[in-house]
Order: sequence, then structure tokens, then C-alpha cells
Amino acid sequence: MSEVIVITSGKGGVGKTTTTANIGTGLALLGYRVCLIDTDIGLRNLDVVMGLENRIIYNLVDVVEGNCRMKQALIKDKRYPNLYLLPSAQTRDKTSVNPGQMQKLTDDLRDDFDYILLDCPAGIERGFQNAIAGAERAIVVTTPEVSAIRDADRIIGLLESSQITQIDLIVNRIRMDMVRRGDMMSVDDVADILAVPVIGAVPDDETIVISTNQGEPLVDTACAAGEAFYTICRRIIGEEIPLMDLERQRGILIRISQFLKRA
Amino acid sequence: MRLFFLFHKGNSGEIARNRLKIALISDEAQVTPGLLDMIREDLIDVFSRYADFDTGQVDLRLSRGACSDDMLPALCARIPVRQFTRLRNE
Repeated sequence: MSEVIVITSGKGGVGKTTTTANIGTGLALLGYRVCLIDTDIGLRNLDVVMGLENRIIYNLVDVVEGNCRMKQALIKDKRYPNLYLLPSAQTRDKTSVNPGQMQKLTDDLRDDFDYILLDCPAGIERGFQNAIAGAERAIVVTTPEVSAIRDADRIIGLLESSQITQIDLIVNRIRMDMVRRGDMMSVDDVADILAVPVIGAVPDDETIVISTNQGEPLVDTACAAGEAFYTICRRIIGEEIPLMDLERQRGILIRISQFLKRA
Repeated sequence: MRLFFLFHKGNSGEIARNRLKIALISDEAQVTPGLLDMIREDLIDVFSRYADFDTGQVDLRLSRGACSDDMLPALCARIPVRQFTRLRNE
């Protein structure tokens, strides 16, 4: 059985592409056949985040227009078993494809993959409508900021009136030091406002920048964000495990002083 | 140096949460803060025919689920009354 999941947010720059890259890689590491689709036509980025930019020959628009077969456009990531990328077109725009074509495209992939992940562009216009057309499940990425949460609320409203049946939330870039001193909304605060189940919480981690610089997803590596993404992957496949403990990342001395303060 | 950071108490998360709640309800109900002000002025106008109250104390706000369980946006007015000045059938 295959599942088509769109990763979306409304606001740009909250981490959709990084999330797509890491979840896709994580699911491949867990043994699933995964296809990543960059639906951001004109602003392609999933390829560079994955480190596969030098291997693009055909793209999503070529497949839709019949310039090539699907198999020719799919790039196999040789570092992982069963991980493929369908890159977006860089010199076209969102109107090159319509929702009906996107639905057919994702349906054609269902036989060959367990998970098809769609990296959605920012915004609520045509690009968003294209990205969600073939999906039955959505993951909304937000950060604990007013602008991102307001946009996420709008996106959730649009997803609820679509064919999508399951909506989950990822709260990205949490800084526990700021949450503790009351200067950042907690995961619970965000979940409470948006009223959508939280599938993952990812701490702010500079390792993400390094990983993106290198074009190597960091899921399942020994860092806070890597662990968080791996936990999310296991929750996506249905394992009943808790969210990553964000407090665990703290040093022992801070924990002792915090404990003494409370006592 | 900005005094804001000097006296900052570390509660901006709470401020963000409250602002967001109001913004999201206003978005959903398609009621702008300006429209809310107009409703409030009219409300004061009408109510002042029946009671004596401090117009500065009138609090009108949108909240979710305040009137029913279905989480619909609800308009709530709080008007502290000093005295009712006129009976309806007077």
C-alpha cells in the first residue's frame, strides 16, 4: 500500500524542503521505497538540499508534457536503498502543470513506491493546489513564530476542505532555552492554537545548516535534529513512540542547577 | 541602548500566544479590529439609553467557543453597569 504525503506550510522559509529531504531519507533508511517530488516549479531546491543537483536531466514538467518517461526523470540516490527524486523545472512556472496532471502523476507512482513525498511551494495559490492534488495525507511544518503559525492555520483550513484525510503538524526550530525563559511558544502552545496532532518537534540545530551546505540529509545522525527527524519517520510509519525529548539535549550542569532551583 | 531589552521580563511567548489567538479568530470570522471598534461604538450608543456606565470600561472581544461547545467564534461584551437608568416600557 502506498501513501502520498504533501509537506506544506503556507509561509516560506520554515523548513519544508529540509523536512522533506530528511523524512524521505529516513523512510528509505527504514526500508521503504520512497519517491520525493519537488513541486516548486520555477524555484527548485530539493535537489540541492539532497545533493543531487548535478544529476538532473529531465524534470517534473517534462514528465507531465510527455517529453520523457517517468523512469528517465527519476534520479536514484545511490547513498540510500530505494530513494528517488523527481526534480522540479527551474525555467517554467506554476501554471505549466494543473492539479489533474499532478494527481495522475502521483497515482502513476503508487505501484512502485511505499511513500511519495511532495515538497510544496510556499503560498496558497496554484503551486499549493498542484502539490496537494494527489495527496491523501499532509504534514504541516511551522516554527513557533506568529507569522508561521498564522499561515499554518490558513493552510490547515484549506487542507480540511480538500480530499486530504490526515493532517499532522511538525513544529520546527524550537529553542528550549527561549521556551524555558518564556520568550518562545512551546510545542504544546502551538499544538493548542492549531488544534492538529503533533507528529514531530525539531530543535533549532546549526547542524542543519552544515548538512544543507553539504547536500547530505542528517536524519539518524548523532545530532538533535537528526534524532528528531528519525523519530518523526518512525511515527509516520505508525510506530507508537513519543516525540523526541527536547529537554534531553541539555547539559548535566544546567540540569542540576535547574533541579536545585526547583527544590 | 533600547530599554525594551533592559527591562524585558521574558514573557514574549505568552504575548505571541494571545495575539495569535485573537488574530486567528478575527481571520476566521472575517472581522477586522476596526469593525470590532465600530460595533463597540454602536453598542455603547444603544446601551447608554438604558444604563449609566463607564464607556472606557466596555470590553468587546471575539473568542472561540465562549457561548457553545462547537468552538464557533463568539462575540462577547462585558459592560460594567453603575445603574440602570430607564425601564424598557417607560
